[in-house]
Amino acid sequence: MTVTRAIEPWIQDPLVQFVQEAGARLTLIMTPAGQVMAQHGFTRAVDVMAAAALGAAIVSSTREIAKTMGEEAFTALNHQGEEHGIFLSEMESPRGPLLALVVYGSESSVGLVQLFFEDLARELNEACPEKESTKPVIAADFERDLNDSLASLFGR
Amino acid sequence: MPLVNFTSREITCKIVYYGPGRSGKTTNLQYIYGCVPEKRRGKMVSLATRTDRTLFFDFLPLELGSISGFTTRFQLYTVPGQVYYDATRKLVLQGADGVVFVADSQARQLDENIASLQNLQVNLLEQGIDVRTVPLILQYNKQDLPADLILTPNEMDASLNFRDDPSFPADALTGVGVFETLKSVSERVLKKLSEESPS
Repeated sequence: MTVTRAIEPWIQDPLVQFVQEAGARLTLIMTPAGQVMAQHGFTRAVDVMAAAALGAAIVSSTREIAKTMGEEAFTALNHQGEEHGIFLSEMESPRGPLLALVVYGSESSVGLVQLFFEDLARELNEACPEKESTKPVIAADFERDLNDSLASLFGR
Repeated sequence: MPLVNFTSREITCKIVYYGPGRSGKTTNLQYIYGCVPEKRRGKMVSLATRTDRTLFFDFLPLELGSISGFTTRFQLYTVPGQVYYDATRKLVLQGADGVVFVADSQARQLDENIASLQNLQVNLLEQGIDVRTVPLILQYNKQDLPADLILTPNEMDASLNFRDDPSFPADALTGVGVFETLKSVSERVLKKLSEESPS
């Protein structure tokens, strides 16, 4: 099943277009801490939250290795398996770096993904507003909801 | 800052379990994983050595449920405790919304606890985060060990808890104190989010 989710609307159109053009199975846009800001594609392709956490860790550790070699950063990373490949890259935005994790299959290739990824990075950079929209989030009396949620979580 | 999706009304918070090697950080997550219903948790990922010591991190996503009309998810991480892995600890700490410091209550481990707490402050500061502003909970684990081997919660507080943060005695293997710790850090993280939200 194809799922599209985006925390803020400006991410969605460039992401959907990229997945279609690159023939990717799933693409995640994440914060450097591994939190998913947007996703589009087949959710069965990968465990989304685990992949985001691991992808962010790979990018972070690769950047640190680059630093030890005097490189500012390595631009992208690709792993190719028999049926799936993953492409991981950092990209700039007015709010700081974002990460992309692209899962692709035999219907695409790393070349195709790289080709359209440049467009995605540019379009997201242009579309991203500098400031997040802030709206009221948690009511001051959230404790009761939290207590109920945790109690049911732990069967208490 | 927790990630908030206003469209689907979801909040995602990152909690990091920090502390010296073998203090019980992974055990906390394993206990939570074991007692939370499958539909309320995701896959637990552990990047560990062949001897099951944490090499990079453990990761456990939890769905708390609806809070103030927002579906609230917590992503629990542990760091590797050994001194050697400081570089990876810094990476895992990035973007943390709350920290649980898991201390080993054994008297002989006191120096390691202090060094790890100092290391936490240094690593937070490197990211521009003042330890006084990040929600921090202390857990004094292994309180089930014989009394002559361990420090009491009061003694642990006197040695480690100089900011008077919430602290909990625990035996993570059997789950004592694990729920209370998670509840407390959840409260503090959401309280901070509530205070930072425009009214």
